[in-house]
Amino acid sequence: MTPAEIPLKAPGSSVATTTATEVTRGDVEQVERALIDASTRVPVLMFYTSAIVWLLIGTLLGGLTSFKSHMPDMFGGVSYLTWGRIRPAHMDVMLFGWASMVGIGTAIWLMARLSRTTLRHPLLLVAGAAFWNVGVLLGVIGIFAGESTGYQWLEFPPYAALILFVAYSLIVSWAVLMFRFRREGHIYITQWYLLAAFLWFPWLYGATQMMLFVVPVQGVMQAAVNWWFANNFMFLWLGSIALGTAYYMIPKVIGRPVYSYHLAAIGFWTYALFASWTGMQRLVDGPFPAWMITASIAAAIFMIIPVVTVGLNHHMTMRGSFGLMRYSPTLRFTVFGAFAFTAFCLVGLLTSLRSMARYVQFTEASVGYSHLGLYAFYTMTMFGSMYYIVPRLVGREWRYASMIKLHFWASAYGVGLMVLMLLVGGLVQGKSMDNTALAFTESTQSIMPYLRGRSLSGMLLTIAHFIFAIHFGMMLFGLGRTASVPTFLNPQNEEEARAGV
Amino acid sequence: MKGLTALFLGIFGTFAFSWLGLTVVPSMQIGHLDPQMDEEGNDPYPAPQSGLAERGRRVYVANGCVYCHSQQVRADYAASDIERKWGERRSAPRDYIFERPVLLGKMRMGPDLANIGKRAPADDAKAPAPGSTNSTAPANAAAAPANAAAAPANAAAAPANAAAAPASAAAAPASAAAAPANAAAAPANAAAAPANAASTQAGVTSTQANAAPASASAAPTPAKAAAAPAVAAQPPSGAPLPPGAPSSGEAPSAGGTGTAPLPPGAGPGPSPAAAVAANTAAVTTAPTTTEGASNEPLQYSAAWHHRHLYDPRSVTWHSNMPSFKFLYEKRRITGQPAANALKLGGPAAAPDGWEIVPTYDAEALVAYLMSLDHSHALKEVKSAAPVSPPAPGKAVK
Repeated sequence: MTPAEIPLKAPGSSVATTTATEVTRGDVEQVERALIDASTRVPVLMFYTSAIVWLLIGTLLGGLTSFKSHMPDMFGGVSYLTWGRIRPAHMDVMLFGWASMVGIGTAIWLMARLSRTTLRHPLLLVAGAAFWNVGVLLGVIGIFAGESTGYQWLEFPPYAALILFVAYSLIVSWAVLMFRFRREGHIYITQWYLLAAFLWFPWLYGATQMMLFVVPVQGVMQAAVNWWFANNFMFLWLGSIALGTAYYMIPKVIGRPVYSYHLAAIGFWTYALFASWTGMQRLVDGPFPAWMITASIAAAIFMIIPVVTVGLNHHMTMRGSFGLMRYSPTLRFTVFGAFAFTAFCLVGLLTSLRSMARYVQFTEASVGYSHLGLYAFYTMTMFGSMYYIVPRLVGREWRYASMIKLHFWASAYGVGLMVLMLLVGGLVQGKSMDNTALAFTESTQSIMPYLRGRSLSGMLLTIAHFIFAIHFGMMLFGLGRTASVPTFLNPQNEEEARAGV
Repeated sequence: MKGLTALFLGIFGTFAFSWLGLTVVPSMQIGHLDPQMDEEGNDPYPAPQSGLAERGRRVYVANGCVYCHSQQVRADYAASDIERKWGERRSAPRDYIFERPVLLGKMRMGPDLANIGKRAPADDAKAPAPGSTNSTAPANAAAAPANAAAAPANAAAAPANAAAAPASAAAAPASAAAAPANAAAAPANAAAAPANAASTQAGVTSTQANAAPASASAAPTPAKAAAAPAVAAQPPSGAPLPPGAPSSGEAPSAGGTGTAPLPPGAGPGPSPAAAVAANTAAVTTAPTTTEGASNEPLQYSAAWHHRHLYDPRSVTWHSNMPSFKFLYEKRRITGQPAANALKLGGPAAAPDGWEIVPTYDAEALVAYLMSLDHSHALKEVKSAAPVSPPAPGKAVK
């Protein structure tokens, strides 16, 4: 069964069809899906709710970080609100609280759907989510208390990391077990990505923790391990989940199969091979053997292959259906994410070339690059999946199309402005830093207007997130619409839209 | 996808490839480096840092300094770091072998700090050392005993601006009795290595200076021990200057203000550093007067760091560095003002009857900053500029 065979219908109405006299195969599948959805309901909603709470916390921390970077005297006398503590707290809340939790939630749901098996013992997953929350909470408190480990993206003190690891084991074993008991012989593309992400993450996290804290590697190798972690966390963990989600959502919403399985296979394997080798280019010209840097730069260049194949595949699948983005919130967010993936990898390629790295190394451009990947690509894709999945879990449709639209535009403009500000500002900063005719302080001065612009974009994102959180809360408390059709962004007939573009 | 086995093998294979290639193999290549020594086994570099500096590293990490300050100097052909005087040669893996966590950094909202300790002013050069002209080396030779005594205190307790007076009060008598011990401790401070050389010339037993790595790692203990009184002691300044510290001739005038004078060894100190410091001063527009005359501490001196940490905008008006006021304590002056109280002008200054003193964490942080120094020559790195402290008898490639 390909996802395309599943008609665009709300689960609420599908349950009702069983009472009809004629029971078709499609009806049976509808019921089956409704049962699967129901089995994942509690854990997935738990992951989503926690993720959104962390998203709001992380947003506020991010805003504070942004404002303090051009208003340094804000809360100057408070140790736990100093810039150097809020910043890692913001990053880690977003990475472990928001991104990982929403990703796990979506991945569990997708895995259950694609394996065509109900989720057994969902309470264990709930326990996993609870542990994960405790881990993140302790980690953030640790950072505020000044117990940061000093490794980028791994600032959580080791005890918090341990809790996260235990929680993760609970979660991942469940996802893999679900795959083990699948009733569908065929393994869909999304499942490749999800399985890979679920297996890579513990290795990645475990190996890094071992090499940094248990049997620490010497000197600069810590930085290499650190960047290896950060990069693979982005690509192999979050990136895999998001790509897998896009491979599911795009065909599903537009109702046609993926354009090419061969392209998908090439995209997947080259992604696994090359994405995992990037990362060291962030240490360009640092105290490392040149081959490490060069290998990563080469890998970043080779990333063109997965980017083009995945992009082409999505594009060919979407061809003729772009008009549907006018109506489907899921599609709109997901396609935005898919485009951002291409942009993310291209910017990554450009900035890793040595001639460019000279100007963007050690500037805000790297923050812009991270937001392009973590927000424009990953988070937007996840928003898309939530717009699809949540109605199927709570049995209600999203209440207001206007809120979804506002969310989308505030997010899209927010992240667009942020990435633009940071990339351009970073380049300006790097140019002045490289020019020794200018004092060093000129370079930090030159980025200030861009940092103010970044704060503006942060306000847009804050608006977007609060709107989304309120909307999600309404769904959670049963305030969604009880309709048989999904909430479209614009009231239009679907057929016309297809024909219109 | 053909089969599940192929999928699993592929998933594991690709990741194992990356893991081995980017972490395990490089770790075999550069993950087991030893300190470098010259032919006689002298002059080990790098050496582990003192306890106070290590504590300072924790403060540095806890407050996220690494998010704005890198600690790596890139090669001259790749970037303008060396031209910016952030270092004289590019950083190499060996520079970091004792660092944990390693703080290479990825952002420069502030300048690079790889050599910030090295760039501190060397007061000895400016002090009118008895019987010497402006040429630094002889000056140092003359002041060798004092330097030897100051070096260990310096290694651990540079921030202990606890007025040169108490510092040397603690250290100098010790130096009289235990000069060899101090000389042995000197290698612990990478910056003080030349001092060590100077003191060997001055007739201190050279056997102890032959610090093997093992003893080098043991060295911080005496250094710390020597430093402890200096830090702990915050007695009223003006303690009698011990004899045998001629190089701290300017200290009394500074100490007289009862604030934060530069200890004579506030910089990494000894002789060759002076040449570098002179260079640095030329480009960084350091105030040229001594701290006794005006209220301005010399750039990158310990007192300067304290002031900068407390109120960055009093040093650079448009700096966007956060203030670390919370590392300082504002308290009512009881009796005599503390020797290490901050000298601040303008709105940040403490009101009458109050003073602002560094907490232990602030002292540790500044000690850590003062200890940052990648200037020592390394065999595997070609120096862009002539290396200032050529180790005795070592050819610099």
